[in-house]
Amino acid sequence: MKTVRLLTPANALARAAWLAALGALLTGCAATKVKPWDRDLLAQKKMQLVTHPMVNAIDEHIYFSKEGSTGGGDVGGGGCGCN
Amino acid sequence: MQLGPTGPATIRGKLGAAACMLLASVAPAVARADPSGAVTQVDGTLLLYGEQSRTKVAEPTVRVTRLQPSGRSLSGQVVLDVMTGATPTGAMPPGVVDSTAALPPDEAPRVQTMTAASGGGGGGGSEHVPGPGDIPLAQFHDTRVALDAEWHEPITNIFGSTLGGYYSREKDYESVGASGKLSLDFLHKLTTLTLGGGVNRDHVFPSGGTPLPLSDGTVLHDERNAKDVTSALVGLSRVITRRWLISVNGSRTYEDGYLTEPYKVVSLIDPATGYTTGQITEGRPSTRQRTDVMTTMVYHFTSDVLHLSHRYYWDDWGVRSNTIDLKLRHDTGDSSFLQPHLRYYNQSQADFFTFGLVQGEPVPTYATSDYRLGPLSTATVGLTYGFHVPEQPGEFTIRAEYILQFGKGHPDTAMGVQQDFDLMPPVNIGSLVAGYSVAF
Repeated sequence: MKTVRLLTPANALARAAWLAALGALLTGCAATKVKPWDRDLLAQKKMQLVTHPMVNAIDEHIYFSKEGSTGGGDVGGGGCGCN
Repeated sequence: MQLGPTGPATIRGKLGAAACMLLASVAPAVARADPSGAVTQVDGTLLLYGEQSRTKVAEPTVRVTRLQPSGRSLSGQVVLDVMTGATPTGAMPPGVVDSTAALPPDEAPRVQTMTAASGGGGGGGSEHVPGPGDIPLAQFHDTRVALDAEWHEPITNIFGSTLGGYYSREKDYESVGASGKLSLDFLHKLTTLTLGGGVNRDHVFPSGGTPLPLSDGTVLHDERNAKDVTSALVGLSRVITRRWLISVNGSRTYEDGYLTEPYKVVSLIDPATGYTTGQITEGRPSTRQRTDVMTTMVYHFTSDVLHLSHRYYWDDWGVRSNTIDLKLRHDTGDSSFLQPHLRYYNQSQADFFTFGLVQGEPVPTYATSDYRLGPLSTATVGLTYGFHVPEQPGEFTIRAEYILQFGKGHPDTAMGVQQDFDLMPPVNIGSLVAGYSVAF
């Protein structure tokens, strides 16, 4: 059967943003500008990649049980008969 | 999950017990202090989840974490899932109401009369007769208990490790797993490399026995079916500026074993009329390799914080998906915040997904009508409110979300009367999460 490629405008925009982010990630010069005494904002809980891990885990479980995809950011955790 | 009689009193009792467990675990948190400098953190959440005319879930979770001044931490978590309601069997709308009206005398009735759905396994579930254009549903109820523990150990000031273990059990599924992660900070501790791996040894033991795939439901055996899951993760996060953080994670998961949904079925269709003439059990490959790449960005504006992520996923079953997730945290005072949430998900169907098979044609090697492997989209809108009560420890959060799930329910391949039906009708879902977190 034919596999459908997803290239909607939203997805194209997301990929462009992803490539821009990857470029920034791989560019070393910017990071060295952030000195230890400049990390006040970064130290805040709201700047963590996942601010509320338990709620995030609930979301992951909901979407895992309702969609055909999984993954994103972590390994481990348990299986479930829901999907 | 297992189908069976669903007593309101039983569900009420379980929910009451769950709520008591949550409150009892969190309440004593408020009053102790430790002279060693160690901190105990207690987090509790209660999820209430409901799909319109389908599944309802209540899920309390309690997590206790002991944090040492050295950075070492040990945590344990208990989750209780109480699930009830109805779920699609995979069958198409029958097309006719009267199960015998349009049938030749030597054929079986066309209407799927679902008893003990989850595929017809034992359990004596309630009977459901769909209307001519309705997606057949099966009643079910189940309770799942999950335990997990995690130990984080900083090895040096730039190198850390995390080990985790997991166990969960429900009526027809058991999962045992372990995972490990190593993280390394470098480039002035502004970049973090994370390597991780996990293994799961799961077992599926369907109610009423394991049916033969792509059959009329003939029971193959009554034993446990193994399902092994191995996963690996590579992640890189980096501080770009004082306000900007980016992370890219890639993970690959390999599944091997019993991957079929034992209770799902595939309809057989009369090509002339579009009426269903019967159904067979579904059958899936015994391996699956999943890969995803997820990019997350966090940006601090003057006050608000933006979380934006994109995940691209693909697997060797032919499913491809894109997920975009956006959260914007807005502080409404010194001790409260609002956080709107938008998410959009879109996937292509698996190679062996079909809405139904033509009666009399050869049965393919694999086939499923599980909508979760179909051409599916999900849109989410949500709002979180978090606050501290003055003079009291801890943070409360309340989050409400609306999820709309929809698909391409009018395929070109629909035959006869099926062309008039939406084969993937939209599903409205609401969820509410209440959380409390306190350290002492």
